[in-house]
Amino acid sequence: MKFKLNLVTLALLANAGFVSTAMAAGGYGIQDANTDKVKFDKWACKRCVVETGVNGTVGVGMGYNDSDDIRSANAFAAEDEFAYKVDADLKYISESGYRATIEADNLGMENGRLDINAGKSGKYNLNLNYRQIATYKTDSAMTPYQGVGGDHLTLADNWQTAGSSQDMTQLYSSLNPMELSLKRKRTGLGFEYSFDAEPGEKLWTTYLNYQREDKTGLKQASGSFYNQSMMLAEPVDHTTDTLEAGIKLKGDNWFTALSYSGSSFKNQYSQLTFDNAFNPTFGAQTQGSMALDPDNEAHTISLMGRVTADKTILSGRVHYGQMTQDQAFVSSGYGYQMPAESLDGRVDMKGVNLKLVSRLNRSVRIKASYDYSDRDNKTNVEEWTQISIDPTTGQVAYNTPYDITTQRAKLSANYRITRGMRLEAGYDYRQDDRSYQDRETTNEHTLWSKFRLSQFENWDMWIKGSYGERDGSEYQASEWTSNESNDLLRKYNLADRKRTMVEARVTHSPTEALTIDFGTRYALDDYNDSQIGLTESTDLSYDVSASYLINDDMTLTAFYNRQNIESDQSGSTNFSTPNWFSVVEDQVDVIGAGWSYSNLMEKKLRLGVDYTYSNSDSNTQVTQGVSGDYGDYYAKSHNVNIYGQYQATEKMALRLDYKMEKYEDNDASNEIAPDGIWNLVSFGSNSHDYTAHLIMLSINYRL
Amino acid sequence: MKIINTLKSVSLSVLPALLVSAVLSLGMTSVAHASKWDAKMTPDEVEATLDKKFAEGKYSPKGADSCLMCHRKSEKVMDLFKGVHGSITSSKSPMAGLQCEACHGPLGKHNRGGKEPMIAFGPDSTLSAEKQNSVCMSCHLDDKRMDWNGGHHDNADVACASCHSVHTDKDPVLSKNTEVEVCTSCHTKQKADMNKRSSHPMKWGQMVCSDCHNPHGTMSDSDLVKPSINETCYSCHAEKRGPKLWEHAPVTENCVTCHNPHGSVNEGMLTTRAPQLCQQCHASDGHASSAYMGNTDQGSTVGGNAFTGGRSCLNCHSQIHGSNHPSGKLFQR
Repeated sequence: MKFKLNLVTLALLANAGFVSTAMAAGGYGIQDANTDKVKFDKWACKRCVVETGVNGTVGVGMGYNDSDDIRSANAFAAEDEFAYKVDADLKYISESGYRATIEADNLGMENGRLDINAGKSGKYNLNLNYRQIATYKTDSAMTPYQGVGGDHLTLADNWQTAGSSQDMTQLYSSLNPMELSLKRKRTGLGFEYSFDAEPGEKLWTTYLNYQREDKTGLKQASGSFYNQSMMLAEPVDHTTDTLEAGIKLKGDNWFTALSYSGSSFKNQYSQLTFDNAFNPTFGAQTQGSMALDPDNEAHTISLMGRVTADKTILSGRVHYGQMTQDQAFVSSGYGYQMPAESLDGRVDMKGVNLKLVSRLNRSVRIKASYDYSDRDNKTNVEEWTQISIDPTTGQVAYNTPYDITTQRAKLSANYRITRGMRLEAGYDYRQDDRSYQDRETTNEHTLWSKFRLSQFENWDMWIKGSYGERDGSEYQASEWTSNESNDLLRKYNLADRKRTMVEARVTHSPTEALTIDFGTRYALDDYNDSQIGLTESTDLSYDVSASYLINDDMTLTAFYNRQNIESDQSGSTNFSTPNWFSVVEDQVDVIGAGWSYSNLMEKKLRLGVDYTYSNSDSNTQVTQGVSGDYGDYYAKSHNVNIYGQYQATEKMALRLDYKMEKYEDNDASNEIAPDGIWNLVSFGSNSHDYTAHLIMLSINYRL
Repeated sequence: MKIINTLKSVSLSVLPALLVSAVLSLGMTSVAHASKWDAKMTPDEVEATLDKKFAEGKYSPKGADSCLMCHRKSEKVMDLFKGVHGSITSSKSPMAGLQCEACHGPLGKHNRGGKEPMIAFGPDSTLSAEKQNSVCMSCHLDDKRMDWNGGHHDNADVACASCHSVHTDKDPVLSKNTEVEVCTSCHTKQKADMNKRSSHPMKWGQMVCSDCHNPHGTMSDSDLVKPSINETCYSCHAEKRGPKLWEHAPVTENCVTCHNPHGSVNEGMLTTRAPQLCQQCHASDGHASSAYMGNTDQGSTVGGNAFTGGRSCLNCHSQIHGSNHPSGKLFQR
């Protein structure tokens, strides 16, 4: 085969002879190749064999799903008793270089995915894609409201309001179960084009990607009147359009790109109106309205670039973005004058990132970076009357458009002591400046180091440690809050903090077939100036995993993780020094194991099992003289997948999957009847306890 | 450093043993003796030879045809032609330029018995990851990879070939079905996190690590795909973007102030449950300062009042991500 002179060749020829550049760059980059002596006219590539035509696999599957709790659909991607799917992995190549691929994965199930590409390698590509993401919370949330799924929730005509949910005589006869789940369907279209480069020109590429996401379902919300509240099903019907476009330009030792990213969010419902289930109190309100997430837009333009000079790489990015929102305000049930019909809100986002990486010599590489980001909320500050328990004279409040500027500087060095022994160390600085907060400025200094040793045969290990201190300007607990706050409170995102972290990992392969890995991590956050609020948290975890290739056909793997997180906080009921204390202790165990056996029955059968167990447990204790706790709060899950794949004929393979999920969770604070709390109409107990099974048979055919 | 044999069992036959062993021995390159020359030369000698060969530029007389004289019998070698790197019609493919030697370096005297080193990739190569990667990066420098150098994986000596293979029909690491296994074979903390009570749907492959992170590095925190944490979150949670009339500052500032996106023992990936989470910042004179004891000997229960039962603080302050209601200052509407 004869080649035209092309870009790669030209790049080579252009650089021919610059041996010193090649050495200096310290690598084997194609631009640095010394091609003086190459006689390209003899390079015919007669032995290069590219198969053309269509090849790949297509498959269909059918499954039976046995579950009495919709939550199992998270794991099985199947809502109904029967599930069907189509899989495909197809490729077409033409002699002239056109290529097309179709990849379908679980298409037809709730986590289905499709990706189609067509184009000419290195020239252009057209992409079409589809993806679904579905999450399920419960199908037994109980509500007395009618009109679920819409934006107006009403109670039955014969509803009897009462001062307490226990006295609502129509409550139990009105309850209906509903499903809280959210489904996203994404469809995307993309195009990429690379311009042909003439001799001496640079490589241009442009792209355009569009995506529409429809998100539908129901989520939990609450509507309240003074101190009484009802759980509500908020309708979700969102459409988000995303457009990304850009131009990329590449030279031998540099690259630059200009890109645009835009997103438009539309909510089918702007407000949720609901009947008051309780006797009207202040303001005699029998109906309430809450504002749902408003339509909004965001646009960002960024310019990035990188240049390599000798052994130094300098890269940077600047971006400017705007987020806007101008949805008409909810006015129903709000009897006061508004300064505007809509917010006309605007936030400007600016960012600058600079990074320099330089190899000083064979052993030492240094890195320095500076990052600046600024969120500037340009929305007007106005006077807004707040509905209050005094119906005639609402309190006036001003909105506080939030600004934050963050600057970071980092410096680090990576030192190769010998082959297989490396030391890294660095210093990070961060400064945040905020508006309308208890503390205007916070500064954080962090030192870190990592040592890695892979010198010894079959051992690889590293240890990393860091220590950081955060402080800042004067803390004024109540400056911007209308409610007087305890002067000793330090909000944990603004408070002084000493943060310590140590992490280590060891990997050992005593034989070629066996690998064992152990890691541990400890982190301590000490809020050293906080008397009220979060005072300390610790996080200790370790994990061990092993993989063993028993023989050429059999593999065994295992994984275990334990994590303990403890958080201490304090409060004060008499608005002074701490007089109550709370401890939250989380413990997580995860066990995983897998076994697979290939090449059974004359290399036609493959069997395997995967098992995962997890237990998330949390305990909350509060002490003020006496001690109380928040009861059981855990989630335990067993997941098993047993599979067998049989190559029935040369072209056709059968696969049988059995999946099981045994899941149990609870939360004492939510294991309540709909009228279990006098001033609350709840969804009822939210706990799960189920065992679900899925059997799926699939047939794959190789074209 | 890494172990990824889980990959083999979980991901079934889609992953060639190549990948498994590739990730397995990542970081242990100094002990591998795979190539002929490694038996007689130290890694430093190999590198010095390659540097010299590269500078001299003694390429083969007939390009790929010279190489395939010997190597065409290897199925793995010939598999190159199934993928884009073996495309003979694309002007951007290595086959359109220096062909095999574009990546493996000039032939030199390698054809005399195969004892002279060539640039080799993957787990059995003694060549440093940085040198291996310089080959790949010379073509793959674009907006998604321009921050590779000095980034997390570069610093950890991860070679491109530790995860990727080009001598194949289809690079297995690019499959969404195996991606999470590949990443969590090193990132074990995140592997445990995604199995917690609440997490993004990673465990079931509905989401993958690269939805939020770019493994090749970015200029953002944690190699996120967007300029900031919140902008990354907004790319799926656009409804929280606003700006709304009443902003809850820590929400606007940083989603991870309250959430752990990798998973948590609490519902909604909250770092701490309510009311404790809220009381870590709110201690005004009134109900926010009270001690909510839960179950005590005195007869109170955690599910018996609206401060701890049901949605706790969110029973009334439901619009905790911000409100656009004119009377929404306290996030009740």
